[in-house]
Amino acid sequence: MQLGEFEYLMLTAVARLGDGAYGVAIRRAIEDATGRACSLGALYTTLDRLETKGLVKTAMGDPTPQRGGRPKRMVRLTPKGSQAASDFYHAVIRVSRGVAWAVNT
Amino acid sequence: MRTRICWWFVRTAARLLDEPERDVVHGDLVECNVGPGRALGEVIGLVLRRQAALWFDWRPWLTVLSVVIPIGLLLSHVSRWWGETTALNVARYSTVWDFRYLGYPGWRADLVRYAVISGMGFLALIGWSWTSGFVLARLSRQTLWLTATMLFVIVFVGTLGTLTTAHSHTAMAGRQHFIVFIAFPRLVRACFVMLPAVWGAYRGARGSSLPLVPTTVAVLLLASATALYSHGLEGSIVFGRGAIPADAGPDGFVVSADDPRPLWFLSLVVMWPAAYVLAAAASERWRERAIVAR
Repeated sequence: MQLGEFEYLMLTAVARLGDGAYGVAIRRAIEDATGRACSLGALYTTLDRLETKGLVKTAMGDPTPQRGGRPKRMVRLTPKGSQAASDFYHAVIRVSRGVAWAVNT
Repeated sequence: MRTRICWWFVRTAARLLDEPERDVVHGDLVECNVGPGRALGEVIGLVLRRQAALWFDWRPWLTVLSVVIPIGLLLSHVSRWWGETTALNVARYSTVWDFRYLGYPGWRADLVRYAVISGMGFLALIGWSWTSGFVLARLSRQTLWLTATMLFVIVFVGTLGTLTTAHSHTAMAGRQHFIVFIAFPRLVRACFVMLPAVWGAYRGARGSSLPLVPTTVAVLLLASATALYSHGLEGSIVFGRGAIPADAGPDGFVVSADDPRPLWFLSLVVMWPAAYVLAAAASERWRERAIVAR
């Protein structure tokens, strides 16, 4: 399964957040890791694409008071998504071996 | 005040999103505690991405290529032509009008004939516009706001830089010129094209089924009006664009029964949304029957 960089970042954030993975949390995780702004447009269109590919599953969560009584869109990694992220990660590690900026692996 | 206006724009833009996503996005904005300016940017960004994704489908393109451009241009020309000629005739009648004329059978016959032709013309405009709006909504509901806007822009600007026979044969000045050639045609477009198209789009977007018998009767009525009005439809394009030189037949008059009619197919172009409406009503009826039979 071919993944883009942003798709990989999102899958990794979802895996790291576990049961607490939803729109705002994923966005914060990506912004903290990359130092770049992540727009809602990029977030939700990528999420839809990942869901279409079968790499994540999403569901509406319960409304919460700190969100003005609105629900969260909860995200869960599928085994296929986990495999795709792992493949991407190992490809990056392999291609990075021996380059100046790579940590010795 | 500015903040409230900005949030109003945020809410309005968010209405273009599906309801579940709209709720989630509103919740995200509240949780992140973003200002109205950034919220507006975020929502518009998401809406644009969603709208762009819709155009990867063939249906919005079909509506643009088969309704928005061809029928929009036709409605633009025919509504302008019809508005101008109606206003001219009303102006002419009103300047010489005397109730004693009603005593003459010839005058009465002329008046009735003109009233019938006008009625059929306006009925045809309403029908073509309603069915076009319906097709836009049924074929691609999510892009309706954009395709409908495109349709209305084409209807209102499609005749810019062109003339009609009414224009070229009539010398008028001042207020009367404004009323006949500018105000009345625009009024015709607003009342007999735009409003029926909005109504048709609303009906199409509602998604409820159309009753088969009334729909069939309405489509047959529209087909009759189109057949009666086909000369006017073709004439509005011939003179409007000058694409085809006026070619008078043996009687020496342009756009009369003996003229060649290379644009006869325009009646089919404006009638295809009506055919779609009829097909939609019939298929919905059969589906309902199939469900009842099961």
